[in-house]
Amino acid sequence: MTSLDLFPLWLSVRVSVAATLLTLAVGVPLAWLLARRTFTGRDVLASVVVAPLVLPPTVLGYYLLVLIGSQGPVGRLLERAGIELAFTWKAAVLAGCVGSAPLLIKAAQAGFEGVDARLEQAARTLGRSEWSVFWSITLPLAWRSLMAGGILAFCRAFGDFGITLMIAGSIPGRTQTLPLAIYDHVQANQMAEANALSLISLGAVVLVLVGLARLVRLRY
Amino acid sequence: MLAIDISKRLSDFTLEVAWQAGERVTGLFGPSGAGKTATLDCLSGLSRPDRGRIVVGDRVLFDSAAGIDLPPRHRRLGYVFQGYALFPHLTAAENIGYGLRGRPREERRRRTAEVVERLGLGGLERRRPGALSGGQRQRVALGRALAPEPALLLLDEPLSALDAPLRRALREDLSAVLREWGTAAVLVTHDFTEAYRLADRIVVYDRGRVVQAAPRTELLWQPASETVATIMGIRNVLHGTVLKASPDRIQLRWRGYTLEAVNSPTHSYLPAPDSPIAFFIRPEYVRLIRKDRGPADPVHHMNLMSGVVAGEEDFGTTWSLRFRLDAPGPPAQGDHDIEVEVPHLVYEILEIERDRHWEFSIHRGSIHVLPA
Amino acid sequence: MPSPRTTLSRALTALATAALLVTASAGGGAAAEPTLIVFAASDLTFALKELAPAFEQARNVRVTLVFGSTGNLARQIEHGAPADVFFSADQGFLDALAAKQAILTQTRALYAQGRIVLVAAKASGPKLEELRSLLGDRVRRVAIANPAHAPYGRAAEEALRTAGLWEALRPKLVYGENIRHALQYVETGAAEAGIVALSVADVASVHVTPIDPALHAPLNQAAAVVRRSPRPELGLAFLQFVNGPAGRVVMKRYGFLLPGEL
Repeated sequence: MTSLDLFPLWLSVRVSVAATLLTLAVGVPLAWLLARRTFTGRDVLASVVVAPLVLPPTVLGYYLLVLIGSQGPVGRLLERAGIELAFTWKAAVLAGCVGSAPLLIKAAQAGFEGVDARLEQAARTLGRSEWSVFWSITLPLAWRSLMAGGILAFCRAFGDFGITLMIAGSIPGRTQTLPLAIYDHVQANQMAEANALSLISLGAVVLVLVGLARLVRLRY
Repeated sequence: MLAIDISKRLSDFTLEVAWQAGERVTGLFGPSGAGKTATLDCLSGLSRPDRGRIVVGDRVLFDSAAGIDLPPRHRRLGYVFQGYALFPHLTAAENIGYGLRGRPREERRRRTAEVVERLGLGGLERRRPGALSGGQRQRVALGRALAPEPALLLLDEPLSALDAPLRRALREDLSAVLREWGTAAVLVTHDFTEAYRLADRIVVYDRGRVVQAAPRTELLWQPASETVATIMGIRNVLHGTVLKASPDRIQLRWRGYTLEAVNSPTHSYLPAPDSPIAFFIRPEYVRLIRKDRGPADPVHHMNLMSGVVAGEEDFGTTWSLRFRLDAPGPPAQGDHDIEVEVPHLVYEILEIERDRHWEFSIHRGSIHVLPA
Repeated sequence: MPSPRTTLSRALTALATAALLVTASAGGGAAAEPTLIVFAASDLTFALKELAPAFEQARNVRVTLVFGSTGNLARQIEHGAPADVFFSADQGFLDALAAKQAILTQTRALYAQGRIVLVAAKASGPKLEELRSLLGDRVRRVAIANPAHAPYGRAAEEALRTAGLWEALRPKLVYGENIRHALQYVETGAAEAGIVALSVADVASVHVTPIDPALHAPLNQAAAVVRRSPRPELGLAFLQFVNGPAGRVVMKRYGFLLPGEL
């Protein structure tokens, strides 16, 4: 076994953390909307957010590639703005987001729905704005579900294969994340390396999750 | 103090109410689903009437014509929710201080401490709602609503979730707090005793309408209609025929007897002879006539009747006797004509268990006519 | 016991820190020396991994090899993947890319002809002598790459049809995503035999039997420099290196038939 290149590990940690943060930033407000507001198209939106679970990841990746690639409508706009997205680490982040968003949104939505709406109304009658109600009542009470959703999102982003393969490529030293590197080793019949990286994957995720649990131990 | 006149389409009826409330406690009383809580939600701004106007003091909270609709946070109303809706993740003190946000930290601390002290919650400041007793929770809920000094306190079925003994204790506790703090309040309840104990004035709701609004004693003695009497759970609501009506007396015929009743002093009421009339007789105001003091005398015993006990129920401190009159014809209320309530002591002295046939009389002041 | 609000603020702090770390480290990683990115069909895995270091030394560049199914790689190149040169397992894909003006057609060159072989798991018995042996009871499953999109799979199907075995063997066939997958089925014993590329068949656990190239249309493998490449001359140099004397020795060793030897 040749010396093991650990770049995919750092890339994967970075990409999955970034993807989780981005998914939280976009997914939590969406989940809140779905849980607390009625608007036209709500049911459609609710189905669209879980759609990524239905399509095979590589197929989903292909559609995304068509969209953000150099020929795609979004890709062309980005190119004009001087932003490179496809086949960069940012595309891997996008892949992680798309794959993990349904998990986070569904968990967070259930969490928000589990908060008694009367508590929020009580907060409103006590002079608080919607924003303040969200931060002081809704969020703390839905916290566990958000954590669960965040953990699912992180793991899904960390383990993503198909979407990343399509839109970020599997370019070693640039966009080859840990799952892609493991797959490459398997393809090249380098099972020792593949096994080592698989163990490292599991170790890294356990480490991150245990650390997180330590940091935000929650009881009441 | 409070004037409300709103209408709002609800799922199975239209809420259309107009009433006023003074400086004290107003009770909204009526069966479940009559629109009482919907009214509180409109008052607090949590839901929006289709049209109308709500004024508290000199502040217009809602006016559909003028396009005014203050959001809940600007209405300055303290809302005590059914089941209290305390914030489970905050301590008692944090719950109480929750509505004080925006004031200087020192003032917030001082006001919270003051409310805690006045409500006798000292020592419980750091407990979460889950670790408080029912009574303590009620006090925290009251404290949370009262701390920001609201213009009006809204209470939605504050006691409904409790079991009987606690309910009674908390009712008195609530009554004391309301009296002591002197804040004007609107209280929703479907329990007449609760409305009577806690409110000075009672507004009776039925299917989205106000069927009577009156001081509590007036309501107790002079329900404005048979509907109100039924909602109040009044027993012995009966139907007869008018013989003669004058501003102070009404003579009516019922089950072959001629009864004399006092006309209602507030809405004196002059139905035409032979028209149907509803009236009620409170079971605890029927007098059984003792047999050891000579025969009954129509001069001393007004509205004299006789009958036999057809059924009875022991309520612990009183007996409820269901009498069937000697008069021919089907009984007025299923198996009986009139329900009579006697204390246990009377039941024992008169040996009612053995002796089932009685004469009884009802003072004319205890027969209440109900305007149609 | 921390209150939920402290927990919440701690968690938010953690999130903010994580965000900072991610954005701070995002800029790094760009290599200083020029890097050549080669997209290549999976059957070239072993050959190019051996050739790349020699080219790196000769030209003082870094070579990044990206292996995948020809179809996937072609699609990515079409949509702007940063490849400099593309080694396809099937020239049909190069035709499609040429039509979309994604490659520099003047650089296009045939670099090898692929060969398919019959492989049998050593664990399941002695070497299979010919394709017909696949009909025997010993062979319950035969792995090939999916003929719908894998060039070697298509060649395998053609060879079986020409030999008149296709219909009889059909119930026994299992499809791998590509030849490496097909080979893995045999290596792991999931299939007793398979038809794969000679270039990847050099593994200890299988017997290899050649298949007559006349049974299928030639697997002409061509490469070309990608139009978007910022360093087309370097890509062309690598292509020529693989096709040159040093490259030919290695390619031949991995079982490719070379241009000019046909």
